Amino acid sequence: MVNGTRLGVGVLLAALFGAPAFLPPFYVYLIALILVTGLLATSLNLVLGFGGLYQFHHAVFYGIGAYTLAIGITKLHWPAWVAFLAGPAAAALAGLLIGLVCVRLERLYFGMLQLSLGSFVWIVALRWYPVTGGDNGLHGIPLPAGLKPLGGAYLFILTTVVASLLVLWAVVRSPFGLTLQAIRDNPQRCQVVGIQVRAHQLAAMVLAALFAGVAGVLYVTLERSVFPNMLSWVLSLEILVMCLLGGWFTFPGPLLGAALVVTLRTFAGRYTEYWTLILGVLLILLIFFLPEGILGTLRARHAQKAPEPAPQPAPAGDVHG
Amino acid sequence: MAILGQLLVGLSRAMILFIVAAGLSLVLGVLRVPNVFHGSLYMIGAFVAWTVAEAMGGSPARLWVALAAAPIVTAAVGLAVERTLLCRLYHREHLMLILFTFGVMLVLNDLVKLSWGPTYRSLVPPEGLQGAVSVLGVALPRYNLVLLGAGPLVAGGLWLLVHRTRIGKIARAAATDREMVAVLGIDVGRVFAVAFGVGCFLAGLGGALVAPTTSITLGMDHTLLIESFLIVIIGGLGNLWGALVGSLLFGVAHSVGLLIWPQFAIAFPYAITAGVLLVRPQGLLRSVW
Amino acid sequence: MHMRRLAVLVILGMVAVTMSRAGAGPSPRLDRNIKVGVVDTYSGPPAVFGNDALNGFRLALEEINREGVLGARIEFVTRDEKFSPEIGLSMARELVLQERVDLLVGTINSATALAISAFAREQRVPFIVWISKSEQITGAKGHRYVFSTSENTAMAGKALAHALSRRGYARFWIGAEDYEYGHAVTNSFWRFMKRAKPEVTLLGQTWWRTGEPDLVPYLTQILQARPDAAFFGTGGAGMANLLRTMKVIGFAERVPSAIHTAIDVTVLRPLGTAAPEGVWGTTDYLFYYPESPDNREFVRRFQAAYRDPPGFPAFHGYITAHFIAEAYRRARSLDRERFIEALEGLRIRTPVGEVEMRACDHQAVLPLFFGRTRRDPQFPFLMAGNLVTIPGREAMPTCEDIQRARAQGR
Repeated sequence: MVNGTRLGVGVLLAALFGAPAFLPPFYVYLIALILVTGLLATSLNLVLGFGGLYQFHHAVFYGIGAYTLAIGITKLHWPAWVAFLAGPAAAALAGLLIGLVCVRLERLYFGMLQLSLGSFVWIVALRWYPVTGGDNGLHGIPLPAGLKPLGGAYLFILTTVVASLLVLWAVVRSPFGLTLQAIRDNPQRCQVVGIQVRAHQLAAMVLAALFAGVAGVLYVTLERSVFPNMLSWVLSLEILVMCLLGGWFTFPGPLLGAALVVTLRTFAGRYTEYWTLILGVLLILLIFFLPEGILGTLRARHAQKAPEPAPQPAPAGDVHG
Repeated sequence: MAILGQLLVGLSRAMILFIVAAGLSLVLGVLRVPNVFHGSLYMIGAFVAWTVAEAMGGSPARLWVALAAAPIVTAAVGLAVERTLLCRLYHREHLMLILFTFGVMLVLNDLVKLSWGPTYRSLVPPEGLQGAVSVLGVALPRYNLVLLGAGPLVAGGLWLLVHRTRIGKIARAAATDREMVAVLGIDVGRVFAVAFGVGCFLAGLGGALVAPTTSITLGMDHTLLIESFLIVIIGGLGNLWGALVGSLLFGVAHSVGLLIWPQFAIAFPYAITAGVLLVRPQGLLRSVW
Repeated sequence: MHMRRLAVLVILGMVAVTMSRAGAGPSPRLDRNIKVGVVDTYSGPPAVFGNDALNGFRLALEEINREGVLGARIEFVTRDEKFSPEIGLSMARELVLQERVDLLVGTINSATALAISAFAREQRVPFIVWISKSEQITGAKGHRYVFSTSENTAMAGKALAHALSRRGYARFWIGAEDYEYGHAVTNSFWRFMKRAKPEVTLLGQTWWRTGEPDLVPYLTQILQARPDAAFFGTGGAGMANLLRTMKVIGFAERVPSAIHTAIDVTVLRPLGTAAPEGVWGTTDYLFYYPESPDNREFVRRFQAAYRDPPGFPAFHGYITAHFIAEAYRRARSLDRERFIEALEGLRIRTPVGEVEMRACDHQAVLPLFFGRTRRDPQFPFLMAGNLVTIPGREAMPTCEDIQRARAQGR
């Protein structure tokens, strides 16, 4: 079983690295977009699925990463490598600041505070015309020559995403990651046995923001543009749906969700104006029939012979914690 | 004097915010559901009011009929969703409830587009309510007097409902301890349905009231939804008077923002929310329920 | 010997035929149809504009394809950008890489237009912007591959400054919606107003956010300051709200007000009688003015096909199709670089008279119509009266202005 999974991942990686050689350019672009969105969704899932935090406005960190790179290159004339590192760093810093304020609260209040602080950042991006380009955004951002052709950008994105996913996977499997999941399942008990709940949650938020920033930087590599929409709450909810769709208690779930949503959006968008209607119906069906997502349900079915207790999220109700 | 007049003008906006936010707060307090499609119902309320007013042509009563019909329609839509789907999800966690209502919002917004199309609509108020009157040196639209009257009426009605009726008392009890109420042999589901219906009624009423003052269009729910969520949060979840305080605070923050830093006036309500939550993480008022 | 002479003669003959084709003789025939990729908003409120533009474009293509372009037809595919630049950019990429379109056309969203413009430059694909009014498109951010068949904020501001500078107003107030368009059109207006009449003063400014439902407090503030005239920068749903509020509190009777597109049919029609009389405005297309045979014919055929009279987007879509067809006829090939050279400086006949695609900035030289809203018993909505035509040349920034803006933009 484990060998089968490893073989599958190996074949998939080989196919991904070889893709530019045999796929038409548009599909190469589409795969790159899926990888970027997948990394963004996976980073959200670190705090959402594994951390149990209602991070309602995760797109903010994606936008901060992208805007830092874009502003660094076009307005501050930083060398490209500095700007590329500054993007994720700025996102992580924002994650730390917002996290410091938010982890004092729980569940719905956490989510709402995170949403209002995030909207604040969004407004700055939307209003600070001289720096952010306001509602028009910034376009045609000059990048190093090697990243200009689609093939070059694609390989850079693929390598970075694979490396980031390996790190995130290691984090989830590490003692830190396991503690985080324990906190999600029973914060009170963790508190009692002496685990620093807030510190763990804060660290998870910073890590998640860091990798959302990486995804933001990669988006600029691909599209060479930034828009205030990248920090909108609609995008945040869309990536939440991706996590849910793929399976938010599994590691590869968000990647699968991102692949499905991006592909559907690209192709359904061609034939219908009612894309949001499709997304809405899909979401409602998911909640009723696949609450643990595609991979979560598959895994549960697989584990039926030797039942393993599925992670039980805390029941609704206790808003005031 | 002029500043007082300005505040009076801004107050009518606060009344709309209060009516919509009170509905949201009611649902949140009793059912513990943050209803994301509340904004869609507000928009549907405005469109239905327009349709009803158009159908009645030049009749002088058209505004009043529209104001009565729109909230009934939205309450029916809300109840249909609650009774068929939402009621099966109450045992699930918050995130699922939020995402479910988000899904319904996406569906409803596209259904509005299917039914009314993308063009802007305008509802002209009846003769007697057109134009403006001079109050404290400013021109106050006559129709705003209706809004200023509607706010206290709704607040009074809600107070009566919550404190003077059996169902209101049960709702308050259910909000505090759902299991206890169920143990007493009371049908909690019915209480939830009533609370949800009233919440949706208020969303539609807000939309119908706002219809004559603005462009009725897709996307009109967007800002309002976020604002009423923030109002409910700073007021204290489920606290109707918190919703009132929050709405007034929002109105003042906006006017003050306009005076000091117009370019960033839009950011003031968000700053206020963040500030309130930093100092009082559970909102300004505790739940009175 | 004989054979060789014959061969020379045949070759010479072939050369002569080829030369004559390249010259003024019969046109070469294209071996495939011309494919245009349209990216625009077809969902949400701005879809009204996107659909209107597409209808105008379709109507023109029917005429063009009847006789054909170099023996081929012009076909098009559309993509809905949902008023979202990242979706628009992704769709443009799909159209160029996958559908292999010859050129791109669109969109109402200026953020999308600027994003696609940067992409078009990188891919060396011509891109014609037909609704967005951002002056950056052919101004500071202009380049070889981008064109505009729409009037823009620079032209609107200059035209209104031109018209208002003759009316004896000295103390102005500026009110606008706080977004790119609001800033651009008011900046342009004030810059050209100062240039036309240096003694004017600005009493104050009022900004409200996009989607602000209640404008009464803002307008009250302006009324209390008692300026000689007010200039407003807003559009779409914001414009409808502004006009409605002006009517309710009787603003325009007390402070003369000017707004670009306030006299436009797309603005006034949905408002019905809720729009105020006496507001000054400009637009680059009206279905009832000028009353030329060309315009009447265009309106007649448009109404026969789509019932409603054409709005300004339909006019833009219509002339865009004719610019494309004429440029290909002149380029005599599907080569993109030759198409661009043919489009530069091209003049075509349109419903509002001859329009030139200015070579220096790729901006269509469109006349603007200046007038004042008034009731017309024949229509259920307000129309424009006291109409004057401001020639395109007078409304456009000069080529030097453009060069300066582009040098600063770099």
